[in-house]
Amino acid sequence: MTSPTHHGGPPDLTPETAQSQSLSEAGIHVELTHSTLDITATLARVRSPKAGALILFAGTTRDNFDSKPVEHLSYTSYPPLALQTLLKICREMKEKHSLIGISIIHRLGTCPVGEESILVAVSAPHRKAAWSAGEECLEIVKEKAEIWKLETFVGGEGVWRANKDGVQGGSTRESM
Amino acid sequence: MASKAPPGTFKILYFSSATTITKKDSEFLPAPLALGKLFDTLDENYSGIKAKVLGSCMVTVNLEYVDIEEDAERELKEGDEVGIIPPVSSG
Repeated sequence: MTSPTHHGGPPDLTPETAQSQSLSEAGIHVELTHSTLDITATLARVRSPKAGALILFAGTTRDNFDSKPVEHLSYTSYPPLALQTLLKICREMKEKHSLIGISIIHRLGTCPVGEESILVAVSAPHRKAAWSAGEECLEIVKEKAEIWKLETFVGGEGVWRANKDGVQGGSTRESM
Repeated sequence: MASKAPPGTFKILYFSSATTITKKDSEFLPAPLALGKLFDTLDENYSGIKAKVLGSCMVTVNLEYVDIEEDAERELKEGDEVGIIPPVSSG
């Protein structure tokens, strides 16, 4: 019998076949899921009687890019690598900002416009550390997590986005 | 992504803009192969991929990032899992 351990030891890894894959260790939970993101459940993961502040960031998908109408977005990932990267980011943020808890969950597959694609939740004894950690965490995730966004525009053209420059990445048409 | 590499091969994974050219998420390539020859080998298989995509990509071997110039002599061995990592876009 194995049950989630939150007291040291190697992080728990859920089976690769699951709808969701996650890693957990003390005060940290990271997850990739094909399901709708659950704000209440994500906040509950970082809730603590020692925390005076819970901060939640919810990133939602926009209906346009440079006023070009987006029909839907989808995300792909390299799950074992992305989870490892997210876990490292959480460890760094937890240490740096003395957090009580931190959780990152990112959606994979098709994400309809207007729905959450990422949730970052942090808890800390006081609000300043929680605000700072939440903001810094998101920026690092966008820079490093091995997750890719495909925007499909109305009319069918698809474009792989790159966060680094914010400009249009490669088209899904081979001519590029 | 779960299937194991057949004998004499390593597994290579493609993501995002790389799949636009390869038209597949993964395949098996003959091992061993010097890391420094990886991009040229891919460019032979997928003409133009080096200039269009690989120049902005990073490479992982068994979930660790490698430097294709500094680690050029490193051999990609049978059973290795190599990832071609284009610029990311989460969030």
